[in-house]
Amino acid sequence: MEKIMIIEDDPAVREELALLLENEGYLTRAVTNFSGIPDQVRAFGPSLILLDLGLPGRDGFSLCAQLRRLGAAPIIVVTSRNSAMDELQALSLGGDDYITKPYRIPILLARIKAVLRRSGQSAGPDTLEAGPLRLSLAQGIVQAEGQTAELTRNELKILAHLMAHAGQIVSRADLIEALWDSRIYIDDNTLSVNMTRLRGKLAGLGLPELIKTRRGMGYQYDAV
Amino acid sequence: MTLFEFLSDRLGRIVLQGLCAGAAALFLLATGTQPGVLLLLLLVLFLVFLGGLAWDFLGLRRRLGELTSSLDSLDQKYLFAERLPRPASSYEAQLFALLRRAGKAMIERVSDAQAAQRAYRAYVEQWVHEIKTPITAARLVSQSLPPGPRRKLDRELTQIDAHVERALFYARTESPEKDVLIRRTNLADLVDQALQAHRPLLIEHGVRVEVQGLDHTVYTDSKWAGFLLGQLLQNAARYHSDQPVVTLSAQAMGSQVRLTVADNGIGIPAHELPRIFDRGFTGSNGRSRGGSTGMGLYLAKKLAETLEISLRAVSVEGEGTQLTLTFPAQERLTKL
Repeated sequence: MEKIMIIEDDPAVREELALLLENEGYLTRAVTNFSGIPDQVRAFGPSLILLDLGLPGRDGFSLCAQLRRLGAAPIIVVTSRNSAMDELQALSLGGDDYITKPYRIPILLARIKAVLRRSGQSAGPDTLEAGPLRLSLAQGIVQAEGQTAELTRNELKILAHLMAHAGQIVSRADLIEALWDSRIYIDDNTLSVNMTRLRGKLAGLGLPELIKTRRGMGYQYDAV
Repeated sequence: MTLFEFLSDRLGRIVLQGLCAGAAALFLLATGTQPGVLLLLLLVLFLVFLGGLAWDFLGLRRRLGELTSSLDSLDQKYLFAERLPRPASSYEAQLFALLRRAGKAMIERVSDAQAAQRAYRAYVEQWVHEIKTPITAARLVSQSLPPGPRRKLDRELTQIDAHVERALFYARTESPEKDVLIRRTNLADLVDQALQAHRPLLIEHGVRVEVQGLDHTVYTDSKWAGFLLGQLLQNAARYHSDQPVVTLSAQAMGSQVRLTVADNGIGIPAHELPRIFDRGFTGSNGRSRGGSTGMGLYLAKKLAETLEISLRAVSVEGEGTQLTLTFPAQERLTKL
């Protein structure tokens, strides 16, 4: 399990962030005593550090540089100072990424995943398998029992999200948000159109009932 | 100073000199001076007076000219009293001293006002940074809510954030030079940032966003340009019609890049179009739909000026609005 160290002075943000990341399957530790941070980082040995620049009585930039010299882990710098100057300084002092408060939660999670992937700690899956389907994300191809269908980018992302949550009910709003995360800025109607096409392609593979509509709730990918 | 002004200033002296000359002539005539000699004397006297007046007039004119050009050469005219030449007479010295006192008092007032404005700006910035932590905390807390309330809360929090950002950029536009950092930026990233920041509003209004050919490099400050773009997206979402579509497309115009943000919304009446960038202008759309502050496009325009982006609006009422942002070529960025 990947370990994330949270260095953040606001108790509410700290606790909620720890809770959120634990729910996402990370092991977290939040720094509550702001002296001797490098030692605490060394003791915990995280795979990623979330560092808030506005710590009490400390210059966040110098701490960032210090942690970088330690070479412990990639650092995502979190700050409420929204200026390009701060961003440049944070990145030049060894931050691997930079995100400003108030961040959107999906974006924070995506950045964490991206930095972990880049640092080689976790490889994103190239293929997804659930039930009878095998989805190749890189090629945009879905396979079932030797048959193959090509998907458009939108269809691919919809199917990938449903397969990643196989068996669960995924609401239309969740699907729309997941697509926006992948820079597909879709609306409700377009989602319906894409869903119909996707189901058509799955029917072509002999699996017309694979994605079920749960009235008033959303869609469900039938894993069994 | 005209000759007439000069002469009317000296009128008393000229009359007095004339009277004296007349009285002296009468006295000399009575005491037996020959008229021919007297006439010659008066002529010489007149020429001397005239010469003296002309000398004074030209001297004054030259002096005024010097002072005027010394004022014209100053960038900050109110510093005139500090840049005065050496006084030519003790009278001028007294005048200059008075000017200097007045100027000093004004400079103090100006610098007090500047200091107060700087302090206020610093406070607004600090306040903005402080408010962001509780907004972040509220977003994190909202994650544990069921999806319905979470989305509603997220929408409100995004609105709060949009208001806060406007306050921050309003404070920043007063002295932009210390915040703006021009860097190579990918236009697609810039657009994505702005779209994500206003996502709840766009999704709530059922907006479909189409992006076309955004793979261009622009030289700009990504935070400022992102904020600017955000103002346009908020308007596109707010003033939508049925089946709203916002299209963001870009094309290279020589070394410049033009980004077009087009919507199929309710449009802007032609007679209001020239005023949409005015501060506090809400227009009939803003009044009928509510929630308009009249600040969004005003700030967008100011930011665009600072970033040397040319921002233009075209609109047909009932059909939609098109805003174009022309990003400058790198070598054309001058003052930043």
